[in-house]
Amino acid sequence: MPGGAAVLPPTPGILISDGESNMHDANETFIIPIGPQHPALKEPGHFQFSVDGEVVTGASVRLGYVHRGIEKATEARNWVQNLYLLERICGICSHIHAMAYCLGVERLAGVEVPPRAQAIRVLTAELERVHSHLLWLGVAAHEAGFDTLFMYSWRDRETVMDALENLSGNRVHYSVNVLGGVKYDVDEPRAQAIFAVVDFLEERTRHYLNVVSSDAMFVQRTRGIGVTSKEQSLRLGEIGPTARAAGVPRDVRVEAPYAAYGAYPVEIILETAGDLEARFIVRINELFESYRLIRAILGDLPEGPLTVQRMPRKIPAGETISRVEAPRGELFYFIKSNGTDRPERIKVRTPTLCNLASVVALAPGHHLADIPMLLVGVDPCFSCNDRGVILDYPDGEHDHWTWDKLRQFAIDHYRNR
Amino acid sequence: MDVEKDLMIAESLLEIHAPSFNHPEPHRLDVEIETGDLLDGARVLVNSGWGYLSAVTGLDLGVEAGEFEVLYHFCAREAVTTLRVRVPRVGGVVPSLFQVIPSAGFYERELAEMFGITVEGAPDSSRLFLPDAWPEGVYPLRKDYEISDSGN
Repeated sequence: MPGGAAVLPPTPGILISDGESNMHDANETFIIPIGPQHPALKEPGHFQFSVDGEVVTGASVRLGYVHRGIEKATEARNWVQNLYLLERICGICSHIHAMAYCLGVERLAGVEVPPRAQAIRVLTAELERVHSHLLWLGVAAHEAGFDTLFMYSWRDRETVMDALENLSGNRVHYSVNVLGGVKYDVDEPRAQAIFAVVDFLEERTRHYLNVVSSDAMFVQRTRGIGVTSKEQSLRLGEIGPTARAAGVPRDVRVEAPYAAYGAYPVEIILETAGDLEARFIVRINELFESYRLIRAILGDLPEGPLTVQRMPRKIPAGETISRVEAPRGELFYFIKSNGTDRPERIKVRTPTLCNLASVVALAPGHHLADIPMLLVGVDPCFSCNDRGVILDYPDGEHDHWTWDKLRQFAIDHYRNR
Repeated sequence: MDVEKDLMIAESLLEIHAPSFNHPEPHRLDVEIETGDLLDGARVLVNSGWGYLSAVTGLDLGVEAGEFEVLYHFCAREAVTTLRVRVPRVGGVVPSLFQVIPSAGFYERELAEMFGITVEGAPDSSRLFLPDAWPEGVYPLRKDYEISDSGN
């Protein structure tokens, strides 16, 4: 019952009642739980938004619906097994998890990975960023009710998925890394195939950049919404494209180049508006930067072996920190070895956790109809951390909304304005 | 680059709270700090704009050692400063950094539910990841918590 969300002002002398105790004091808070089935990306997460009429006054988060206990599980597996386990933290940015882990373990082991292997890691990471950003573009367009853009961006995304499959044999868990190097080489036919994909996508991406910054209906949903100032972004600890859209120059590839990023430097992409539109523009411009990097790597791939001569089974005792730039922002690994073939502790802090804090802080003051876009704006990924909306009245009554219903409500809200 | 400079600034900021500094890796600074000084240590880094709190790691040093270590990792460009505090395994308490760093809330909720360390002064101490039906007083990232094969 969508009408139930509106709090009627108290009217003296007129009793508003349908016979049940359905009267609400204007001072009462409506709490709208969203989830646990994930509101935007078909993944589970639970949010509670308290609303005053249609304006959000507070927000809280509950995660863990896809928490698989992976950090604990790593302590019962050896270093090699853990590579495959950690890669499965995420089905979108699987490679970056494996890469962060490998870089850390290799540092503890004191091995030097050959330059060709590091370049292929970076190549894969950039292909992954392309598919992740295009995936996000589609999801975000869908939440705004712009399904044409959703369909086209996902159609185009298939080409980069094909390139990844061509490279590794897999669309999702490419499993390019091994401890001490990579498994797959890039030969000339593969390189040509990737060049063709990049050429095609670059053309399409230009079109998308034009669409998201000029389509009147779409801009209505993004411009001036979810505005984060640079100061707020810093205070809230935002990272990745979300922070860069607010003018915060945070990109691990630039600030602390790892793997082969020293040899193929990244140009940081910044916007200053800090609204949802800026987040679109940052991510789309990052696609161009990824295309440039992919071409640079393919055009200048160092010769040499793909792996180190020998990778020890037991890793010397010690602690290390491995930071990499995932598509959503900084991914942080803390790895502690006790000198055996199993880790003592692996701590994974994924970018979504940082950026969700900003959603919770920014939601108050926004219309309920802006929530889907606000959430999707940070590109949340709960598998990395870990459908349906219920109107929850303080007197214990519930009115259930599906996520689709909230999304439709938001689209209608803007259509009817 | 300016890694050394960033690390030197961090050292001078934390000098009054820390008896000694370690450099486990060239770009890292490890600072052992008293639980009582943690909030001040974090505040001095934040107020001078030295990086941001990137992660909080809990470490169980084992039943015999009887202690946990809590690691607060601050990152500024390439440099990483880690504030390390030790708390007893039984009744361990750390202060919440929420006042200084609002985004610390999620990390602290995770730390509390996974290790059973009390975070004092946190505005929200409810569970973040563990299921509603998870038993009270069972902390999965402690070393003496065994994963059973039967699972649940």
